[in-house]
Amino acid sequence: MANLFKSIKHIINKKNIPTNQKDHQSSLVKREYSKDQTEDWEKELTKSKDYQKSYYFNQKSGKKFTLTYFSTLVEEKVMDNNAVPPLLEGEFYTIADVKKLLPIADVELSNSSNDIPEMLMKGFVMLTLEGEKEFAFISSPKQVVRSVSAPEIEFSVVGPKEAFVEAIDQNINMIRKRLPIKELIAEQFIVGKLSLTKVCVLYIKGITNKEIINTVKQRISDLEKDEIADSSYFTQIISDNGNSPFPQLLDTERPDRVTSSLAEGKVIILVDGSPHALIGPTSLTEFFNSFEDYFLNWILATFIRLIRLFSVIFSIMVTPLYVAVVTYHYQMIPKDLLITLVTSRRVVPFPPILEVLFLEVTIELLREAGARLPTKVGQTIGIVGGIVLGTASVEAGLTSNVLLILIALAALASFTTPVYQMSNTIRILRFPFLIMAEIWGLVGITIAFCFLLTHLLRLTSLGFPFMEPVFPLRVKDFKDALFRLPFKSQAKRPQFLRTKDSTRFSKEKANKKKDIDE
Amino acid sequence: MKKSHFIVAVLFCMTILSGCVDRKVIDDVNIATGIGIDKSGNQFLGSIMIPVFKPDKSFGNFTFVSKGNVIRDLVSEMQKKASQPIVSGSLDIALFGEDVAREGLIKTLDVFLRDPSVGARVQLAVVDGKAVDIFKGRYGDRGNSQYLTQLLEHNMNQQNLPITNLHRFLANFYKRGQDPYLPMLKKSNHNLVTITGLALFKDEKVVDILHENKMFYFKLLVDNHILGVVKVKEAHGESTVKSIGLKKKMRLIRRDPYTFSIKIKLKGDLTEHQERMLKEGEIRKVEKQLAKQIARECKMLIEDFQRKGIDPVGFGHFAKSRTRSFDFKKWNTEYKNAKFKVSADVHLIGHGVVE
Repeated sequence: MANLFKSIKHIINKKNIPTNQKDHQSSLVKREYSKDQTEDWEKELTKSKDYQKSYYFNQKSGKKFTLTYFSTLVEEKVMDNNAVPPLLEGEFYTIADVKKLLPIADVELSNSSNDIPEMLMKGFVMLTLEGEKEFAFISSPKQVVRSVSAPEIEFSVVGPKEAFVEAIDQNINMIRKRLPIKELIAEQFIVGKLSLTKVCVLYIKGITNKEIINTVKQRISDLEKDEIADSSYFTQIISDNGNSPFPQLLDTERPDRVTSSLAEGKVIILVDGSPHALIGPTSLTEFFNSFEDYFLNWILATFIRLIRLFSVIFSIMVTPLYVAVVTYHYQMIPKDLLITLVTSRRVVPFPPILEVLFLEVTIELLREAGARLPTKVGQTIGIVGGIVLGTASVEAGLTSNVLLILIALAALASFTTPVYQMSNTIRILRFPFLIMAEIWGLVGITIAFCFLLTHLLRLTSLGFPFMEPVFPLRVKDFKDALFRLPFKSQAKRPQFLRTKDSTRFSKEKANKKKDIDE
Repeated sequence: MKKSHFIVAVLFCMTILSGCVDRKVIDDVNIATGIGIDKSGNQFLGSIMIPVFKPDKSFGNFTFVSKGNVIRDLVSEMQKKASQPIVSGSLDIALFGEDVAREGLIKTLDVFLRDPSVGARVQLAVVDGKAVDIFKGRYGDRGNSQYLTQLLEHNMNQQNLPITNLHRFLANFYKRGQDPYLPMLKKSNHNLVTITGLALFKDEKVVDILHENKMFYFKLLVDNHILGVVKVKEAHGESTVKSIGLKKKMRLIRRDPYTFSIKIKLKGDLTEHQERMLKEGEIRKVEKQLAKQIARECKMLIEDFQRKGIDPVGFGHFAKSRTRSFDFKKWNTEYKNAKFKVSADVHLIGHGVVE
């Protein structure tokens, strides 16, 4: 028992697992097991219910053989249909004959008992033959893969309708199909002492800046964590400032978005078990771009982007401004609006800040309840909460109806942000603004804004400035930041990525539309 | 400094300094929208108008009245009667009784000048009668202050009233070589207030009142833009012309005696003509007649000002801006001897759609 623990410790000791090797199989360091240790682990494995060891004998040669495997990791149908019948009915005497006999391509021969646990864990079936020291590993891993479905978070009306799934190979397949070039590199790392998660770093050689690639590779190989459940772990662990409420890596479930980011010269991180890819380096404006923008005419897309920008500012600022103006700056209210505000405020027994906090918290509760409940119940909660609670609280005189409209609009505006992580950030941001507005009015809002701006200016994404192109000012990069200009003006890659090849296509050729007889 | 120290310092400041700001929650204050100052014996009679917001979203008006020697005193006197503090940040209009205005406005205005929350675009007006009486009427359905400010503003923007407000009044007052002027209001009945003319100041005191039908010519002289209406009478009958464009050129021709030339170029629209249709040539006649009329009336106005020793058009300021080492002491006598050449050119670019 003690020996077993020692050996497990030995396995999970990360230093023995070189993580940046492309081929995982060959990367596992051979470990020496003594005879009694082997028996020990076998004893341990038999405690698991899915550990199977079955005894057979060959009808022609009369040789006895055993098949050992984990039933949950092995596709038993393949075994029963393709492996077992030839083994029973075919003729073989040595383990080498097995390899010829079986219709399965991946059959490995080995005589080192140290490989056994790892190979079994990978979904191999071990075949031992009576009187032979050597044994064969027959590959028949079980593929439990969800089929590719339409994107749910980054839904688009037009454009491709496929989203990443949890299997990393499937995800890389989707990207490679869109970028069938040899320059697309997918480097694999193994991360996590227990989970041994496969992580892939994708980039296009000859376009992406080496510095970005090295930064990402270094951060991943330096990562210390026992298990990795999702790519969002990476956003938090490897991003430049883990204490910032702003996500510094863009996550997406769309292979098309990933492809276009790769073409821009960015780096993609794919994590096995996560249907989200991470894109880096990124900038603040990118979080307010939906990939659907590229499927629309550039005028429409620019308009929609500006609407989103406005809604972000509106969502953060509207309730703090309400608090500031109603509490301190009655002078700013136009005379025509005064009567609406005063009559609706008069019945409310609370100061403006409490009134606002009450409603803001209600909205957050509704959102959280809606998110935790199953979809169908969630919709009901939204309607019941929104309409019933809102109207009732106005009628009960707990809030003013002007504020109710503002809060509802602010909540609505916060949902226009296409990236979920960022829309959460935006909802949180208004609370410090509210407190400052309550304390110092508009001056407080200004101070809070200064703090926010300072924070944003200091943020970096994989070492690249987060506020780009606003600061540092890169006028040319505005072509695909706040605006989306037509494709013909996008002939250059973004300046701030410092790509090795800055030209995407020839602008001159793109502008020409030849006549049919030219 | 460590980051944690910094955060603690900020939080500390926030807690300590949060009490430093004066809190005025919108529904817990009496928002003064109009202030009126009259004379009552030797004392001032102050009135402050407050909108009353009724639950059915209609307006009422309430007026606090008190007596005192200093304006601030009046306000603190009224605070004693009010259930909620009276705040002056949303002041729209300040009215002065004619008797107060004749004695001098600046000492009553001082209270506005020292209060940063009073805006520069507060409308000022002199009242023919008592300011309190105006506040006690009931005008329109948007509240009295809205009625009064909109009455003045639309007349300034689209009619013959010259543009004035607190800012312009003070600028004219403190500017050497120009005297201020303010609109004159009169309560005609319980539901209406009319503009009766323009109060002309010498320094801070009202010395003369310009009749309402001369305001068009006055506005031509002092403002850069006019959308007012003027009547012309000539052989064919009376017609009205709406001004739609004004170009004015004032020049200092000579300095001994000071001679000014004022060229007025007016573009107008014939809006009404009595009797019959006009022919091409006859429109020219209307234009000429109006040009003559403008030149004559403007010259009469200026000469009238000269006689009274007031300078609302700002000739003194104009002369100063074009003369090195200008001496204001001499100007007073030189102004009386100054000569003015007014010429006008009228072009009627539209005369209706009937033709």
